[in-house]
Amino acid sequence: MFRSVLRTSTVRAAFAPRIATFSTSRIIANSISHKVSKGSHVYKYLEEGPKSVKYTAEHEWLASFADESGFVGITQYASEALGDVTFVELPEVGDRVEIGDTIGSVESVKSASEIYSPVAGEIVAVNTALESEPSLINTDPIGEGWIAHIKYDDASAVEASEELLSEEDYDASLEEH
Amino acid sequence: MFRVANKKFYSTASTLLKTPLHEAHIELGGKMVPYAGFEMPVLYKDQSHIESHNWVRSKVGLFDVSHMLQHRIEGKDAQALLQKITPIDLDLLPAFTSSLSVLLNEQGGVIDDCIITRHGDESFYMVTNAGCREKDVNFIKSEAKNFSNLTHEPFEGTLLAVQGPKAQELLQKFTNEDLSKLYFGQTKFLKLSPINATVHVARSGYTGEDGFELSIPSSTPEESKQSLEFFRTLLNEFPDIVKPIGLAARDSLRLEAGMCLYGHELDETITPIEAALTWLIPKTRREQNNGFNGSSKILAQIKDKTLFSKRRIGVTSKGPSPRDGNKIFSEDGTEIGYITSGSPSPTLGGNVAQAYIDKKAKIGSNIKIEIRGKLRDGVVAKLPFVPSKFHKA
Repeated sequence: MFRSVLRTSTVRAAFAPRIATFSTSRIIANSISHKVSKGSHVYKYLEEGPKSVKYTAEHEWLASFADESGFVGITQYASEALGDVTFVELPEVGDRVEIGDTIGSVESVKSASEIYSPVAGEIVAVNTALESEPSLINTDPIGEGWIAHIKYDDASAVEASEELLSEEDYDASLEEH
Repeated sequence: MFRVANKKFYSTASTLLKTPLHEAHIELGGKMVPYAGFEMPVLYKDQSHIESHNWVRSKVGLFDVSHMLQHRIEGKDAQALLQKITPIDLDLLPAFTSSLSVLLNEQGGVIDDCIITRHGDESFYMVTNAGCREKDVNFIKSEAKNFSNLTHEPFEGTLLAVQGPKAQELLQKFTNEDLSKLYFGQTKFLKLSPINATVHVARSGYTGEDGFELSIPSSTPEESKQSLEFFRTLLNEFPDIVKPIGLAARDSLRLEAGMCLYGHELDETITPIEAALTWLIPKTRREQNNGFNGSSKILAQIKDKTLFSKRRIGVTSKGPSPRDGNKIFSEDGTEIGYITSGSPSPTLGGNVAQAYIDKKAKIGSNIKIEIRGKLRDGVVAKLPFVPSKFHKA
């Protein structure tokens, strides 16, 4: 996510929505959690919990399970940077997605950001609770605020991916800010 | 993208200008962003965008707008200059009243919007946008060459907008002057108790709420310090009604109030007639050969409405919000316009937007807005979305 979908034209020096969301990083970086919240639908999807949780440089998380599927959402960092989420656009169950495809968008009053699929596969479920309660992205971004559940085309490719970051590496990438 | 832009911010931060209130923004946990060459607060710690927005609609918010440029225009020819570069009729403007107007180019396009206040027979005060600073100054200087007897002096200082239903209650604590007698569009030089310098107080604003804009002299370190202390005093002593408000809520408030943001609703290719600002050209300036820039085109558009095809209007919708640049289509699929600003409306729910749409599309008609590759339903709506609550006589 966070390739901003707002078009900025030449004379529009006025507002810089992308930049606006960034400056929170220093304030919030210390208290941030990247863990899937226990008790959430995501955590309890399979009894043994997620096999691994990885992150993208664009602030999505991916919780992978033993049945070669995973849940996607946006990180707490991204959620705090966006502010009050007012609307979430979800993909459709049955959609086929490639890595980098848009699978939805998250909007605040100020801006809209697209969410990109970190994996190739098929959307097997979407979090319809976000339609009536978009603020779940603020209150529990890595848990009840999940966006899509994707059945992987190739689970070993997901495991071997160099694009996906470990918790440690993702955290370090936030520090660089 | 997120990371790239972030780095850019930090590398340029050191070259950004700071307003006299900058120190207080940092103390208040302001999230600072580059804006028109200044480092300005977009939001403050412990307030979400929606909370800030609603606070101004129910209490009082303080906006640092010191980045905007102030001008003194004085001399025998001052009125003639202003009536050449804007369509205002200053004979209709008594001393210590102000009016919105527009700086116009020869083609009738808008160089900037501005507020002009008369201070005397030959003395005017004007405020223009921060983002147009250099362009405006060059434009005014070059236009001023056609007049022999005037001075134009751009200056900076602390400009503080005090906006919201409790704005008068708050400021009244600092002056013996009865502020209920100062109506929308009027201004006054006042003493606000802890400040030694005389403050220019204008009853105006950019939120649709009642409010004031204070111009506090800040040309010496001592004056700047006093304006900073005044800002802190308002916040520290009246925390139940006052909060600092950043650029994020400033934008959503003015959008709901149907007000233009230069660079979005206004630019040099758009005439005030297309921008639904015909009211800025008083009847007395609608005769032929009136001599303001672009008057032939603008007066022709007033007389013959077939000479322009689009006009600024509102749009409402549900679901994903329309944003600047989204295309608008009629129900039969014809492209009829584009969005210039849009966001979810904290006051009303749903989305509100301003747009330029073919003027044949009537208020209430259904339209389609292309957002992220898909056509979404919208309705043409009248502006403003939230009625203004100005303190009028």
